[in-house]
Amino acid sequence: MIELKQLVKKFDKALAVDNISFTVNKGEILGLLGENGAGKTTTLRMLATMLTPTSGTALMAGVDIVKDPIKARSRVGILFGGESGLYDRLTVAENIRYFGELNDIPLDVIKERTKKLADIFDMNDYLDKRAGKLSKGMRQKASFARAIIHDPDILLLDEPTSGMDVSAIRDVQDFIMTLKNQGKTVLFSSHTMSEVEKLCDRIAVIHKGKLVAIGTLDQLKQEHGTDNMDELFVKLVGGKS
Amino acid sequence: MKFKHIWTVFKKELTDIIRDRKTLMTSILAPLILMPILLLFVGGSSEQMAREMTENITVALTTESNTPEARAFLEEKLAKQNPDIIIVDAVSDPWQAIQDKKAKLVVELDKDFEAKLASAQPIKMRVLYDRSLTRSSGAVSTLQETVNALNQAIAVERVTALGLDPQILTPVITEPENIARSGDGNLFMMMTLPMLIAMLVSIGGIPAATDLVAGEKERMTLEPLLTTRAGKMSILMGKYLTINVFSFASVLSTLAGMLLAFIIKPSSFSLGQGQLGGFALDPLALVLSLIITLLLGMTFSGVQLALSTYARSFKEGQTYLSLLTFVVMIPAYATMAVMSNEVQLYMFLIPILNTISAFKMILGGVVNYTGLFAAIASSVVYVFLTLALASWMFNKEKYMFRS
Repeated sequence: MIELKQLVKKFDKALAVDNISFTVNKGEILGLLGENGAGKTTTLRMLATMLTPTSGTALMAGVDIVKDPIKARSRVGILFGGESGLYDRLTVAENIRYFGELNDIPLDVIKERTKKLADIFDMNDYLDKRAGKLSKGMRQKASFARAIIHDPDILLLDEPTSGMDVSAIRDVQDFIMTLKNQGKTVLFSSHTMSEVEKLCDRIAVIHKGKLVAIGTLDQLKQEHGTDNMDELFVKLVGGKS
Repeated sequence: MKFKHIWTVFKKELTDIIRDRKTLMTSILAPLILMPILLLFVGGSSEQMAREMTENITVALTTESNTPEARAFLEEKLAKQNPDIIIVDAVSDPWQAIQDKKAKLVVELDKDFEAKLASAQPIKMRVLYDRSLTRSSGAVSTLQETVNALNQAIAVERVTALGLDPQILTPVITEPENIARSGDGNLFMMMTLPMLIAMLVSIGGIPAATDLVAGEKERMTLEPLLTTRAGKMSILMGKYLTINVFSFASVLSTLAGMLLAFIIKPSSFSLGQGQLGGFALDPLALVLSLIITLLLGMTFSGVQLALSTYARSFKEGQTYLSLLTFVVMIPAYATMAVMSNEVQLYMFLIPILNTISAFKMILGGVVNYTGLFAAIASSVVYVFLTLALASWMFNKEKYMFRS
C-alpha cells in the first residue's frame, strides 16, 4: 500500500507538488494522469526516495520515506522510462545481479530469481548477452527484470510506454498485469487516457502540482457527465488551467 | 555507507570501463605505445642535431679566395687537425651553398695570407655561416676550437724557435672538475618526467569520471541506482575509487611506456646528450613522493567527480573536464624549467606543484624532507576538501537532477 500524506515539493520558489494526499491500496493499479510538467515525475521521485519532500511524507508498504528512506527503497521498484536503467557493456544477467546486490539480496537468491524472471519474460536466449547489443524489446524486458529483482511490494512506473511502438507498449501492459497478478501495488504515470482506461483500477489526476481528481473511471465519468475519455481529461485538466 | 556496497559499485564500474575500448585505449594503451615513439623520436632528432654540430663539418672557400695555396692551407692546417672538418669545392654564393647543404661554413682568407703567416703577422679568416640553421651556426664553434688549437700549435712553434719555453704562453691553467650530484643528462628528465607524472595523475581519471556520473545521468541509469539500498555515499565512494584506479593506471602505463623507450634506447632519456645518473634514490624520499602523487590523484578524482555530478549530460561533463586539463597544464608548464635546487618551500603546498617539486628533487639528487612532509600534510587536507565537495554535490538534488 502507498499512502501519500500532504506531500509538498518546492524547487527554489516553484511549487512542483502542492499538498498531495491519496492512497493506493495493496494490489491495486493506480494511474497518475497529468500533462507534462504537472508534477507526476516529481511525485514519483519523492516516493522512490530520490528527492526529499519539502514537507509531508508517504508510507511505502508501511515504511516512512522521510524517516527511513533506505528501508523504504527495499519495498519499491522503479522503471522510469521504458527501457532505462541498463548498462550497455554489462550482460542482462550482470545488470540484474548488480541491482540485486545493491538491494542486499543474497547471490543464490539473485540467481534463482533471475532464472524465474528469465522464464517469465522469455529472456533465456539473451541473458548472457551485453545489453547494448540487444533489440529495444529485449532491453525493455531486461529492465522489467532489473526493476523487480528484489521482489518489491510496490512498483513505480514513470511514463513506461512513452515513445514506444505498439508491440512494445503491449509488453509493458503485460508486465503491469503480471505485477498485478503477483499482488504488487502499482503506481504509474501516463498522459495517455486510453492506456489508463485499459489497465487501472483507479486514476488520480494532477494538475500544476495539485490533485484535482481521484476515483474509478466510472465514478469520474459519472461525476463529469461524459463517456469520452479525452473529453473527461480536458474537463479535469483543461478547465482548471 | 557500507563497504559491501562500495565494493559492488567499484567492481561493476571497473568491469564496465574495462569493456569500453575507447576509454581503455585513451587511458592505458595510448601512453604505452605513444611514449616510446615520442621519446625515441625526440631523443633521436636531438641526437642527430648534436651530431650535425660536431661531425662532418663541411667547409668551402669562396671562389674569390679559392687558390691552390688557400686550399692547401685549409687541408693541411685544419682538416688534418680535426678529421671532422672536410674541405669541399669552392662556392660562389655562400648563402645558397649553405642552404643546399653543399657546405656548413664558407671561409675567405686574406689574399696575402702566406706572406703574413711567414712574417708572423695575423691573418684574417672570415667565416660565413647562417645563424638560422643549427647545422651551420653549431659548426662555427667546432671550427673555432680547431683554429684555437692551430693558433696554439703555431705559437708554440714560434716561441720555441725563439729559444723560449712554450710554457710562458699559458700562465694560468684551468682544471674544471664536475662535482654535480646528478648526471648531466638528467636535465630533460628533470623537466619532463615530474610534469608528466603530475599531469597524468591529475587528468588520467577524466574519461572514467565523465562516464560515471554525467554518463549515468544521460543514460538514465542513475535513478534506479539511487533507489537501491546502497546509500549515496557508498555509490559515490565506489565511483571515486574507480576514478582513482584510472588516474594511477594512466601514470603507470606512461611510466611503462617510458621504460620501454629506455630499454630500446637508453640515450632517449637524455636526448642523447650527457649521462643519466646521480638520482636521489633515497627510499624514504621516493616513498614520500609516491604518496604525494597518490594524494594528488585522489584530490583530482574528487574534483572530477564533483564536475561530472554538476554536468547535465555526458557532453557537458566532457566540456567541464577538458577545462580541468588546462587548469592542470598551467602550473605544470610554468614550472617546467625550474631546477631541483630552485624548488621553493611554498611549491610543496600547492597541488600539482607539490608532485612536480618532489620528483624534480629526486631526479636532481637533492632531498628536502620538510618540503615532502609539508606536501603530504597539505595534500591530505585537499583530498578531504575535494571529496567533501563531491559528496556535497552528489547529495544536492539541484545538481543530481538537473536536466
